[in-house]
Amino acid sequence: MRGAAVRIEHLTKIYPDGTRALHDITLNVAPGEFLVIIGLSGSGKSTLMRCINRLIEPTSGKVFVDDVEITALPPEGLRRARRQIGMIFQQFNLVKRASVLTNVLSGRLGYLPPAWALWGYFPRELREEAVRHLQTVGIPEKAHTRADQLSGGQQQRVGIARALMQDPKLILADEPVASLDPATSHSVLKYIEDLNRREGITVLCSLHFLSLARRYGTRVVALKAGQIVFDGLPREIDEHRFKEIYGEEAVEVEIA
Amino acid sequence: MQRHDATSGLPRAPELPRPGLGSLRVLAWILVLGLIYAYGWRVTEINLVELATKWSLARPLLVDLLRPDLVARVPRIQLADAGVGLEGTPPPAPEVRRPAGQVTVTPANAAIGQPVTVSGSGFAPNRPVELIWKDQAGSEAAVGRLTTDAQGAFQTTLRVPDVIGTSNHVIARVTLEGTVLAPSNALRLTFFRMIETVFLALMGTTMAVVFAVPLSFLAAKNLMSRSALSLGVYFVMRTVFNIARSIEPLIMATVFAVWVGIGPFAGVLALGVHSIASLAKLYSEQIESIDPGPIEAITATGASMLQVVRYAVVPQIVPPFIAFTIYRWDINVRMSTVIGFVGGGGLGFLLIQYINLLQWRQAATAVWAITLVVAAMDYLSARVREKVV
Repeated sequence: MRGAAVRIEHLTKIYPDGTRALHDITLNVAPGEFLVIIGLSGSGKSTLMRCINRLIEPTSGKVFVDDVEITALPPEGLRRARRQIGMIFQQFNLVKRASVLTNVLSGRLGYLPPAWALWGYFPRELREEAVRHLQTVGIPEKAHTRADQLSGGQQQRVGIARALMQDPKLILADEPVASLDPATSHSVLKYIEDLNRREGITVLCSLHFLSLARRYGTRVVALKAGQIVFDGLPREIDEHRFKEIYGEEAVEVEIA
Repeated sequence: MQRHDATSGLPRAPELPRPGLGSLRVLAWILVLGLIYAYGWRVTEINLVELATKWSLARPLLVDLLRPDLVARVPRIQLADAGVGLEGTPPPAPEVRRPAGQVTVTPANAAIGQPVTVSGSGFAPNRPVELIWKDQAGSEAAVGRLTTDAQGAFQTTLRVPDVIGTSNHVIARVTLEGTVLAPSNALRLTFFRMIETVFLALMGTTMAVVFAVPLSFLAAKNLMSRSALSLGVYFVMRTVFNIARSIEPLIMATVFAVWVGIGPFAGVLALGVHSIASLAKLYSEQIESIDPGPIEAITATGASMLQVVRYAVVPQIVPPFIAFTIYRWDINVRMSTVIGFVGGGGLGFLLIQYINLLQWRQAATAVWAITLVVAAMDYLSARVREKVV
């Protein structure tokens, strides 16, 4: 198995303005799981994801990835640890003026001598590898297109290819399909599912739609006001659970 | 039975505007506006009668502006020269390339005041010849006028004038019949000043870029709002830029013309200092508007700080920086004209001289050149901006 195990212990994040985004989260993710995190906007999904690779510094608590305590690493160690954690964003976060190929290659920056990257030099094997990853996500012909010329779904696939370039053991997908239409959402999630099934990469993915969570997750965790209110199999979420997570007035919306 | 006023406890209905008062207010406003414009009319000495009746005064000037001085008829000439050495120096080789005839000076070695014989051959027959003595310092003096004979030859004796240096030349200038069209003096001067103007603007802009790029980071709020100290720096930078931008480049050019002397360098400094402030402001606004998403994404891949800057920040700011810089260069070319009026060199300097001498056709040459350069720069900068951003 290639996937990483993730262990989160008593994780708490309080923002400077006093917002308590995460409250004493303890969570274990086994290697190869496709863990879907659901919850309302502002329930702490994004904060939880970003605390795992410390894009956001947790206030207290510990995060382990494969027994490496991420929360205790010095800057250089953190940089090394991040190399194996791919991240996919709701807004894709591509460098818009750069080519698709450069965007994919930038996933490998952490492994390269700094001088190479500053000159924009990537060895031939890496460029070939980048094209292979673009093939994996079905857009090899877009390699030399500027990133902002692509549709949303294509941009997100470049985002996935960039994460693949890191050779990751863990992928954090922060609402990867929230900006996409239903059909594109499925195609993007299928690529992520594929990586999870074929390569065994552990996936933590936050989603808005329960139907998507049921379809793709091997396990679902629900957050509400920074706390875990549900942890179980996707099919266990019934009407009652749903109202617990999303509030009494919520009505489930299906996505095709 | 209700004794007291029933409405007293209720909120009063809003007062309706009385119809007469509203129109009175409009009337007052019209009166005030009328006064303002009446005063404006008087203080700016607007005189439509003069505008309508005295247009003929401007006519020769406008006509001249439509007839720029571009070409001149110049006499066709033949040139040839011979070297003369003074005080024992061997005579230098002739200077004129492709001489039309042959000139000899005997003796080729002479002393100041000594008579020498100058003879020529191979020129056009029966045409006036002008003999010019050119000394080592390059200054020329006419030393004789004669006419070629039927064979195109001439001969005369003259005394070596009191000159500087020991390497001299005697130039024979034979004027032929008829004239040729050549670029006028004004056109040639304008051409060189035009190039000077473009480079003046380029150097000023480049100087501004060198300072504005680092300073713009200090004036970007998103980078500088981390601590009270950096926020202080931010406000100081903003204030300095705003003050610097409000000083007219004309004033700066005047100051620098006194400081480093009249000429293009004063113009470079004036445009440069003014452009630092405006470029730094444009740059810093660009830095403030960068998308943090790519920074987050590249950081998440385990890239180093420097790599994040190179791959997530630079691609976002460099193209707009280039676009702003070219736009600024374009503006500076336009500004350099006015800068030239006060001694900042370039086309403006030439133009103001022609205007002061009332040489309208020559001024027109400069004006058309300015129009041409500005239009070309405008087009170029628009094209480049289109490409880059």
